[in-house]
Amino acid sequence: MPLGSVLLAFVVDGLLVGVTGGNPFAAYGALLCGGFGFICTQGENPVLQISNTIVFVIPLITTGVAVALPFRAGLFNIGAEGQLLAGAIACTAIGIKFSSLPSPILLPMVLIGGMVAGALWAGVAGVLKATIGAHEVVTTIMMNYVAQWFLRYLIVGGPLQLAPGTSKSSPIGAGARLATVLPNDNTLIIFGLPSSVYRVHTGLLIALAAAAIFAFLLWRTSLGYEIRAVGQSQKAARYAGVSVRRTIIVTMLIAGAFSGLAGATEIAGVDHNLTDKYFSDSTGFDAIAVALLGLGSGVGIVLAAILFGALHAGGSVMQADANISGNLVFILQALILFSIAANFVGAIRQRIPGLARPPTALPPEMPPAAPMMTEAAVPPVES
Amino acid sequence: MAHKRLKFLGVAAAVLMVAMACGGSPSGGGGTKQYKIGLVTDIGGLNDKSFNHLAYVGLEKAKSDFGIVDSVTESHSGNDYVPNLTSFASKNYDLVIGVGFLMQEAVGTVSGTFPNIHFAIIDGAGTDSTGKDLQHTNVQSLFFKEQDAGAMVGVISGMLEKQGKAKKNKGVISAVGGVSIPPVNHYIAGYKWAATMEDPGIKVEVGYSNDFTDPAKCQGVAKGQINDGSDILFQVAGGCGLGVLQAAGQAGLYSIGVDADQKAADPSVIASALKKVDVATYTAIQNVVKGQFKSGALTFSIANDGAGYAVDNLTLPADIQAELKTVQDKIKAGTLTPPADIP
Repeated sequence: MPLGSVLLAFVVDGLLVGVTGGNPFAAYGALLCGGFGFICTQGENPVLQISNTIVFVIPLITTGVAVALPFRAGLFNIGAEGQLLAGAIACTAIGIKFSSLPSPILLPMVLIGGMVAGALWAGVAGVLKATIGAHEVVTTIMMNYVAQWFLRYLIVGGPLQLAPGTSKSSPIGAGARLATVLPNDNTLIIFGLPSSVYRVHTGLLIALAAAAIFAFLLWRTSLGYEIRAVGQSQKAARYAGVSVRRTIIVTMLIAGAFSGLAGATEIAGVDHNLTDKYFSDSTGFDAIAVALLGLGSGVGIVLAAILFGALHAGGSVMQADANISGNLVFILQALILFSIAANFVGAIRQRIPGLARPPTALPPEMPPAAPMMTEAAVPPVES
Repeated sequence: MAHKRLKFLGVAAAVLMVAMACGGSPSGGGGTKQYKIGLVTDIGGLNDKSFNHLAYVGLEKAKSDFGIVDSVTESHSGNDYVPNLTSFASKNYDLVIGVGFLMQEAVGTVSGTFPNIHFAIIDGAGTDSTGKDLQHTNVQSLFFKEQDAGAMVGVISGMLEKQGKAKKNKGVISAVGGVSIPPVNHYIAGYKWAATMEDPGIKVEVGYSNDFTDPAKCQGVAKGQINDGSDILFQVAGGCGLGVLQAAGQAGLYSIGVDADQKAADPSVIASALKKVDVATYTAIQNVVKGQFKSGALTFSIANDGAGYAVDNLTLPADIQAELKTVQDKIKAGTLTPPADIP
């Protein structure tokens, strides 16, 4: 189903390119090159392109998990971005304050610090939801703003500012940094380029572990069972003896920890300091698309993150090579989401004899967006 | 159904082959070398009506003059700077241009990785993560003498005030800066210096919004200055400064735009202080094409037509026009030098 939505989005987007005077094949060729290093025609280095994609994929997996987990509990976590920023801030603050500590001590400190900060940030929304019923969509969005402006305060005139007139923090200590997979060396030539251009860092392992933990937690633990029970019916869960309040709070705490970890790995693995780039960061929002597209499974989230990471990396190459605005990629992302939410593919399938599936075709375990999709998936009975 | 899928695969494969065939462009095998120039915008994008747009204008002019191969990549977030610059460098471009000081650190990093590729950066240098200039020998910094442009609009303001041709004529004009950093203060320094030169009794109020993006903040500062009697307001705060132009417009006063010609931004804009990023971009490309690339700072001013002014929604009296020309010629000749620091 998601594959069909993605294909449909690509077709519609291709038509848009064609109608506006571009060559859709050239556009998608460049996108493939930029995303996966395939069929590069303008001298791009395929390994570099794959490396760039992976760098974008890493935080998308971790924040994707942070959105997908609450989905299963029937909660819509729009606040992954704010939680990511909280994690990035904590990681930077600790990484600067204790910059002289050796890596085996400092690195776990900054990563765990980021997780705790993210968990607290999301926990506020969880507690408000569980106690006074404040809607988590509203509270998490508001917490995003608080995080963004707090970050702005910190590095523009605030205590983390490097120097007057700058909008960045000092760099974190060497011990707080995640190693890159290939050595960060300008003189060592690997795959035809200095090896420091390949920025893939060991945060990749952390992200993959996050996806695995997510799957394990959800399907192999009693907490995961409780989360799913609450997501399907709070009343039924309550009858079964599950504390709905506790589950909501715990779910948000865990989700926030994942987002915070994403922010911490970005600082520790890529940036090494807080900069104004975080004013315009949108990883936590792309994560919503990743979680929806990944159908809330660990593998699905990884695959969806790869798609969105490749789109991000490919957009620049598409503009440089095919001279088609990189904004096309954003249209593509929107179309994919739109197509999933509206379930066009399901509707089309119903109209084509032989392809129609019975309406019970939803997987036995409801996908995360089930509350949004069930109505569309089951066509109304015609009178 | 199975054969339908096969058929689809066949079509897809054919399409892919066509795409590959179309993608392969003929490489220039002529006698003269075709220079490849890559431009990376900051997050403002090509349609920012300011730096990025002007850089593109300069690139296009160079393209038609020198027959270069050009390529532009817009950055959609700060995450894109390093990969976008790296992409051009890894393809052996002859010059990679980064627009704006936001890209300083990225240019510093990538220029270190590719010591044989030439880089140019508008309004900045290639720095490390603490903002220290790495002084790489393959990086050219394109700076501007903003005080030259500030002085020209200062002449206009000072003379209007002195001749009683402004709106309130209380002898007060003002400037709203974004943040108190050198490029902003250069503008204000030239403005204050020239206005005082034309009208020694004038009072020039200076305020800062501490922001470059939120018009509401600049509007607040501007309203305070209007209450103090200012009737010509100079904005030096980028997108935030649009609030200054609007505040002046709402109060029926005059305003002055910055960086690009902001005539269309508000009817109150009587003039704009120009930072000619197009000239700088063009010059940087020209240097590379002529084999005259030099690392370090290249400064653009009135003397090399890299700074200037535009008269906008007001027809200036002949004597002011004449004075503008005189001052401009003197600055060009070096007999008048606007200060870099606010007097």
